Amino acid sequence: MQAADISHHTSRRFNEDLERVRSKVLAMGGFVEDQLSRSLMSLVDADSSLGRAVARDDYKVNGMEVSIDEDCSRILATRSPAAGDLRMIVATIKTITDLERIGDECEKIGLIAARLATIERPADRYREVKHLGRTVQMLVHDTLDAFARLDADAALKTCRQDRVVDEEYEAIQRQCITFMMEDPRTIRRALDVMWVVRSLERIGDHAKNICEYVIYMVHGKDVRHTSLDHIERELAERAVRQP
Amino acid sequence: MNFGGWLSLTVRLTVALAIGLVLGLIFGVPWAALALVLAIGLAMQWLHLLRLLRWLQADQTELAPELPGPWGHLVAMIVRLYRRKQFHKQRLLRLLRELRRSTAAMPDGVVVLNPQAEILWFNRTAARLLGFRGKTDFGLRIENLVRQPEFVRYLRGGQFATPVIVRSSAGAEQYLSLQIVPYGAGQLLTLVRDVTREARLEAMRKDFVANASHELRSPLTVIAGYLETLTTDGDIDPALAGPLQEMQRQAQRMTSIVQDLIELSRLESSDAEAAHQPIDVVALMAQLRQDVLARPQHPAQVQIRADSNAMLLGEELQIHSAFANLVENAAKYTPADGSVQIRWWVDEDGGHFSVTDTGIGIASEHIPRLTERFYRVDAGRSRATGGSGLGLAIVKHVLQRHGAQLSIDSQEGRGSTFTCHFPSERLRAAMNVASAVAASVQ
Repeated sequence: MQAADISHHTSRRFNEDLERVRSKVLAMGGFVEDQLSRSLMSLVDADSSLGRAVARDDYKVNGMEVSIDEDCSRILATRSPAAGDLRMIVATIKTITDLERIGDECEKIGLIAARLATIERPADRYREVKHLGRTVQMLVHDTLDAFARLDADAALKTCRQDRVVDEEYEAIQRQCITFMMEDPRTIRRALDVMWVVRSLERIGDHAKNICEYVIYMVHGKDVRHTSLDHIERELAERAVRQP
Repeated sequence: MNFGGWLSLTVRLTVALAIGLVLGLIFGVPWAALALVLAIGLAMQWLHLLRLLRWLQADQTELAPELPGPWGHLVAMIVRLYRRKQFHKQRLLRLLRELRRSTAAMPDGVVVLNPQAEILWFNRTAARLLGFRGKTDFGLRIENLVRQPEFVRYLRGGQFATPVIVRSSAGAEQYLSLQIVPYGAGQLLTLVRDVTREARLEAMRKDFVANASHELRSPLTVIAGYLETLTTDGDIDPALAGPLQEMQRQAQRMTSIVQDLIELSRLESSDAEAAHQPIDVVALMAQLRQDVLARPQHPAQVQIRADSNAMLLGEELQIHSAFANLVENAAKYTPADGSVQIRWWVDEDGGHFSVTDTGIGIASEHIPRLTERFYRVDAGRSRATGGSGLGLAIVKHVLQRHGAQLSIDSQEGRGSTFTCHFPSERLRAAMNVASAVAASVQ
């Protein structure tokens, strides 16, 4: 397993440093997951104080990003890691940027939810948005699991899930347009809902990026801006070459 | 005792050497003959050793080589040792398998962690609840997979007396209760339980209490209002005066219960930490004393003892309600000739607010349950005094939000002392009065 790669270093301190950074990234991920879940809860339950609390807590995500960034720079400067370790550090630096962006999107959702809580909820109580939110939550959860397990296959599978998010996003967009045409009084709410689903869609994209970094970390293959089928073929070939 | 065929080997070697020597003497080359015999003997032993080594290396105990003399004995001994070891191993394995099977069948999830919180083993329920996968997850840190901030804080905090309840992060509406039990040399056993049903019931209960008390408030206000008008109305039949007064008293009591319920559910609805507004405890104590003395029946003596003029940092309304509850309780359960002492002092542990009375006291078996809602030491007596049964529950919640603790010290028939202990970070040294005045003048 790749996890074993990290474990045979001459310097035990180095190991511990790497392991600590990984744990910190995942702790940050856990906090972001919590932010996402709370922001969605505040929207669905029309809980404006919860929405504001989410927006207020975003500074913690930013703080974690800065702290992990510092750790990574320190490791790069003092240990000059190579191969797998270097890839891990590089992937970590990119991952936390995306996590921080997810945090920002959660902040936006929280603020909009706090605003939406003051006006009447639609009859379906944001059923579609809730469903999309759940899909995105699963996506972020699976992404972080893949990161924890260094599991490139799971990361690839999660990448594919992003397509589902995009489809649902389109569907809600069309629905909102229909609402607005039917009854102009709902335009204000529909616009806010559009912002929420837009944020959710962006979160899905950030999760997909993290999955790509996981694949890069495990296989040393940059898979950004390539089609998924292409990646899959490449990885399969690689697996044949080195059984 | 035959030393494992040692004797026979020695005898055979001696005989072979003797024959070699005789033959050598006959042919006139005694040394060469002796050397030849020794060489043959050595070669044979060498061969046996080789076969033994090869057999041990092949790891096939069943095909034991047939070797003569002490070699054969050695093989037999090795086989015996191996069989014994195999037997014990089998027994241990069987035991272990049984143990694992029984833990796997447990309805609760179990995760075994090493001191670094890395996963050593988990059962099927834990895998299902926490989303662990097969053996690939062994060796991973648990906080990397169970990432909820509450759990991470719980794991690092090291306070494992009570379980932590987290929301499942996999998108589903599921609540899990996780409890860590340390055992052995720093090993940690994590118990996982699905408490979704309990969490939902608890949320429903809170919602119900909050809604019901709000709904009850308005009709009660109307009833109490009309009762007040009726009792002051001079045209009412004097025979009805008694019942009307009783009705008014009960309506008042109901209003106070509803008010306490609303306050309690508001305290419960958020577990956020209380704000840090400075509260002048000494002034608050004076006001509480006035309130007690304004009651129609009150203890003869109500003393205030302020050993410190430090300010308390908290939410004024909540602190007022908690302290008022304690003082009212003391006044209620103390006879007219008794005394109540209210005290505020600061030491290195933090600030302390205590209310001591010379009232009826509480039997020790009731003390642990006093802060439960509607818990009554003596149902008849507390109804007569008109309490809602929620006062101490409110006190407990307010103190929790301020990071403070309530201690109760009581002797039946002698009186009780209720003390609130506030941590030092909730205190602020009082501004010097003179400088405060000076500041306001400038």
